[in-house]
Amino acid sequence: MTDERWTSGDAELTSALRALYAAPTEESYWDALESRILAHVTRGDDSDSWWSEVVEMARPGLAAAAALIFAASLALVHSRQIEVSSAYALVISPTPATIEPATRAAAIGDGDAAIHVLISR
Amino acid sequence: MLATTAPLSSYTVPSPAEGLTTERAIVIAAQRGSDDAFSALVRIHQRRAYAIVRAIVLSHEDAEDAVQEGFLHAHRALDRFRPDQPFGAWLYRIMANAALDLVRRRKVRVAEELPETIPMPFRDPAESGELRERLQEALTHLTDRQRAVIVMHDVEGFTHGEIGRTLGIPEGTARSDLHHARAALRRLLQNLRSKS
Repeated sequence: MTDERWTSGDAELTSALRALYAAPTEESYWDALESRILAHVTRGDDSDSWWSEVVEMARPGLAAAAALIFAASLALVHSRQIEVSSAYALVISPTPATIEPATRAAAIGDGDAAIHVLISR
Repeated sequence: MLATTAPLSSYTVPSPAEGLTTERAIVIAAQRGSDDAFSALVRIHQRRAYAIVRAIVLSHEDAEDAVQEGFLHAHRALDRFRPDQPFGAWLYRIMANAALDLVRRRKVRVAEELPETIPMPFRDPAESGELRERLQEALTHLTDRQRAVIVMHDVEGFTHGEIGRTLGIPEGTARSDLHHARAALRRLLQNLRSKS
């Protein structure tokens, strides 16, 4: 394809593009579009203000909920700390006293036990 | 929104000779909450806005949706606009973003609805003429940005600089996109051309 042929084709292409993308020319069309645009803007602003009002109204509730969640988290952390420290205390605490006599009796031996019984009589 | 500050008739589309001062006054009034001023801005810019978004989306209906969405975004962001800047450039950037966003959403929807099929090019049953039909199909093979660049340049007469500012890309990239878009269209329409 030569440049010359392309130049004439270019003009044809441009004219086809212009026909394809031609904007409406009637004034009534533009008047109607203007009205539609303004109605759309008004509706958009109304929905905006409606949403803003909802957000405004919800704001104290959201703040209270946030405070509640914060307090609950603190309480949870606190109770968890207590749980951990009591478990720790349980692990490191000495053996319960109720077990001691049995342990001691076992350590004394059978002969000593018999003497104990005689003395106690 | 604040109360209207001026009657509708106060805001007419300024001629180019009136310059940007009139528009700046309208923008400031719109920023102060005047519905009529914003309405005037819509009237001034809606055609150009439509042309920009139409270059990006694939159908007239999507272009209308993108223009509406773009103006809504602009209205919400109006407080952040500095009146010493050109309002048009700011608005058209918003429009381009709204259009690109719409194209992305459409692609996701097509991918979700037709997972087993190839995305079909947009076809308007009312269209006629082989070149037109082939061109429409060929345009779907370009990237969104290439399509936007070639349409903005060849159809709407935007300069490379204006395209770059609107689409948020360097001027050189707009130039290169145009080159690649044309090359791709040449290739895709080659058979049709050699037949004619």
